[in-house]
Amino acid sequence: MSERDVTKPHDTGRKIPPIAISETSTLVNPTGSWKYIMPRYEDRVAPCNAGCPVGIDIEGYMYLIGQGRLQEAADLLVRENPMPAVTGRVCHHPCEDSCNRASLDEAVAIHSVERRLGDMILAAPPPPAPERTREETVAVIGSGPAGLSCACFLARLGYGVTVFEAAAEAGGMLRLGIPEYRLPRAILDRQIERIQAAGIDLRTSTRVGTDVPWAEVDAFDAVFVAPGAHVGKDSRIDGAESVSAIRPGLEFLKEVNAGGRPDLGERVIVVGGGNTAMDCARSALRLGADVTVLYRRTPREMPAIPQEVREAKQEGVEFEFLAAPIGVAKEGGVFTGITCQRMELGEPDESGRRRPVPIEGDTFTTKADTVLTAIGEDCDLSFLPGDIGTTWGLVEVDELGESTSATVFAGGDVVDMPRSVADALGAGKRAAIGIDHFLREKAGEDVGEVPLDDLRFGGGNVSALRYSKDADPIPREAPVNQTVTWDQMNPHHFQTAPRHEDHFHDAIDLRSAFGETNFGLSQKEAIEEAERCLNCGVCNRCELCLIFCPDMAISRREDGGFEIDMRYCKGCGLCAAECPRGAVTMTREGI
Amino acid sequence: MSQTIIKQHIPRDDLLASGHLACPGCAAPIAMNLVLKALGPETMVVLPACCWSIIAGPWPQSSLRVPLFHTAFETGAAVASGIKAGLVARGDTETTVISWAGDGGTFDIGLQALSGAAERNEDFIYICYDNEAYMNTGVQRSSATPWGAWTTTTPTNDPEHQPKKDIMAIMAAHRIPYAATASVAYPVDLVEKVKKARTIRGTRFLHILAPCPPGWKTQNDETIDLARMAVERRVFPLMEVENGGTWRFTVDHPGGSIEEYIRRQARFKHLTDRQVEIIQDEVDARWGILSNRVEHGT
Ligand SMILES: Cc1cc2nc3c(=O)[nH]c(=O)nc-3n(C[C@H](O)[C@H](O)[C@H](O)COP(=O)(O)OP(=O)(O)OC[C@H]3O[C@@H](n4cnc5c(N)ncnc54)[C@H](O)[C@@H]3O)c2cc1C
Ligand SMILES: Cc1ncc(C[n+]2csc(CCOP(=O)(O)OP(=O)(O)O)c2C)c(N)n1
Ligand code: SF4
Ligand code: SF4
Ligand code: SF4
Ligand SMILES: [Mg+2]
Repeated sequence: MSERDVTKPHDTGRKIPPIAISETSTLVNPTGSWKYIMPRYEDRVAPCNAGCPVGIDIEGYMYLIGQGRLQEAADLLVRENPMPAVTGRVCHHPCEDSCNRASLDEAVAIHSVERRLGDMILAAPPPPAPERTREETVAVIGSGPAGLSCACFLARLGYGVTVFEAAAEAGGMLRLGIPEYRLPRAILDRQIERIQAAGIDLRTSTRVGTDVPWAEVDAFDAVFVAPGAHVGKDSRIDGAESVSAIRPGLEFLKEVNAGGRPDLGERVIVVGGGNTAMDCARSALRLGADVTVLYRRTPREMPAIPQEVREAKQEGVEFEFLAAPIGVAKEGGVFTGITCQRMELGEPDESGRRRPVPIEGDTFTTKADTVLTAIGEDCDLSFLPGDIGTTWGLVEVDELGESTSATVFAGGDVVDMPRSVADALGAGKRAAIGIDHFLREKAGEDVGEVPLDDLRFGGGNVSALRYSKDADPIPREAPVNQTVTWDQMNPHHFQTAPRHEDHFHDAIDLRSAFGETNFGLSQKEAIEEAERCLNCGVCNRCELCLIFCPDMAISRREDGGFEIDMRYCKGCGLCAAECPRGAVTMTREGI
Repeated sequence: MSQTIIKQHIPRDDLLASGHLACPGCAAPIAMNLVLKALGPETMVVLPACCWSIIAGPWPQSSLRVPLFHTAFETGAAVASGIKAGLVARGDTETTVISWAGDGGTFDIGLQALSGAAERNEDFIYICYDNEAYMNTGVQRSSATPWGAWTTTTPTNDPEHQPKKDIMAIMAAHRIPYAATASVAYPVDLVEKVKKARTIRGTRFLHILAPCPPGWKTQNDETIDLARMAVERRVFPLMEVENGGTWRFTVDHPGGSIEEYIRRQARFKHLTDRQVEIIQDEVDARWGILSNRVEHGT
């Protein structure tokens, strides 16, 4: 009803004196002129996106799941990560360490949601191969996560890609090193099939340097070198060379992962504290042995993924900390075990971890039928030509993976320290961008510099979507490439909700089983978990800014976003203060 | 669900127009907008003298998209009673009439009219937006001004020495069908209370704390945060009283020290730590009394 209708009629006939009646609205007052500071919608980058070494728009796919748009969420995820069913299982998920929600209650179980989406993707047939739009071809050496990631992104960019793999099957450490109970082979196979379906030529059982000469790969327009690190470091146990019961853990894993079931005897010692050590220990346990892990530092310094350590303990693996093997123990010339040196922690080393130092004279002997050494792996770079620079046994590259030789790029374990599947996938993506840029420039295109800072999620890894300049499925308002911190957000509008934890196989009957131990979350739980995501930094149209604006200066736009009418905004800043996500910024610019 | 989707509970259309004359960051227009959203267009507003007389705009403007009647400072409840009676006489029994008054117009000068109307159980909603002083005329104390606060009539060398009047107890004593407190920081709670009040007949009373940046000497963007803190720290508990006897809290009040709440308002700047403790004791004591009412109905 209009103001006019209800204020009239004044009944002069009955001698009621006329009163002043307002018939216009305050809309004529430009009260926005009072302000000296003004709000601006500016989406920021969620810390999880910046913390993921692959470079995934985690916040984005969580938002889509929250909207019930599961398929689009899955599409956005594979756009940046070609193997989510793998990373959802084996990634050490540093994204969760940077999740802002940890400041409210517990981090979002990002890996569980990723895994669920990843499995959903695998259940559907692969999409048609991307169109071949570029004449050039690229050789990729190694089909681990780094090689496959680079190959996949290059194929999507329109290149012809040939992958050379020394082993009989593709997958690198995912197949050779990581045991089946953590990454079922059916999952890995299907994930690789999908990548191959992008039109990649995969040549297995073909080692560059022996089966084919370097010159053959060098004939491609560019080469991506990703052979990983497969040479077990020397155990430094005196006399170990002559004892067959002391063997590199990685070699043992490769045997078991290929279906071998070696007899290790009753008692197995695993030397080391990383993922290889945990996998050796748990695999040995499954072969029926009693297993003790010998680590020269304390639990705190262990580089293994904490979840792996937890599971190893639950399954019955024993741990002996602050001890290092030094020699072989024999009785009557027969191997019976190893002698060990007790250690204590000294000053921190380059990695920031406290260095173990021997306690003079404190040694002991421990019985063992088999000793598996897992103290790190080196790279075999013997196949590389001499003009490719290396330092400390790693290939030297720039941010886009380019080596000292212009056509040769490298990534993954041959470059990275620390090493992980996610870092390898991220390196493959960066190198694909580097190679695309290099080849276009070579073809005479005016490509300028790669805007690396803009491609990175905050300070994190690069986005393939941003590089492609394709439309972003997430509506974004004036995005600023800065990570949003917890104190830029307003937690008051969030409620606590417990994190959904993965379901695990009962540890009791594991000792002979290589079946998967972690079942992840159900679809329903994964969706609920995604709904825990706070959408840090990105407006999700909660409309709190509209509700709290005292001046009704904010209105809904047709496209779902909002508009601030500066004629009326008085610059109070309540919209910015109350936005739960830090998606409104107050600025003096433009006043 | 870990995020309340507040917008699903708040009607979308605004019945308050931009260009109104509230100071930047004022809670009073937020409160009015939420109340009108909950009531809808079939509403008439009676406005005794207060800041809102200015916010509504000078003649010939009105910032409200519903009819508004400006009236004398002390007459809010009487005029609302009369307008309601007039509507009924014309056969309109549905339009909700609200009297919208400040704390001065409610706790002090308008109390007689309010008490009379409540005693007769007149059929309207009386809403007090409480900025804890006579703000329109330049910050004079009212009986809603909290102990220890600076106002121009309670200067820092002799700040307010009466505690805030317990208006809810006064209204409950009238045995009116519905009385409630509400906060701009809890929009869903506020809107639900207004909707509930709308369905009840007789005198309904709503008391809304409305932080005032110039009068409280706070930053413009702190309004909601302070309103929220007042509730959380039990300075301004959110409750309902039905028929004067059934008291109920409507949100959680985790409690905790009121120190930050006090220290962020420069109107309390002069207070010593000891004096802040006195306020804390008062808050705790009132919480005890209130909890007792909730538990035992008195
Ligand atoms: C036992 C173990 C467990 C691990 N667990 C985890 C984990 O849980 N989570 C995690 O994030 N990381 C884990 N890692 C680390 C992770 O597997 C690696 O960082 C990652 O696989 C490196 O990927 P990449 O592509 O660089 O190399 P790789 O995965 O090692 O792949 C390299 C491939 O190149 C092939 N190759 C080598 N030389 C040649 C050549 N000359 N010609 C052709 N092909 C060649 C190899 O056969 C291999 O297939 C683990 C590592 C090990 C050893
Ligand atoms: C009888 C009378 N006395 C004094 C005034 C001046 N006057 C107008 S508004 C006001 C203060 C109102 O205070 P409050 O009710 O708390 O509302 P606020 O302005 O704080 O919102 C005063 C004293 C008046 N209009 N009428
Ligand atoms: S709450 Fe969501 S957007 Fe924020 S850091 Fe965690 S996963 Fe990312
Ligand atoms: S809340 Fe409204 S008036 Fe205040 S700064 Fe934001 S848009 Fe402007
Ligand atoms: S308050 Fe809500 S709607 Fe407004 S900017 Fe922030 S996230 Fe978007
Ligand atoms: Mg007042």
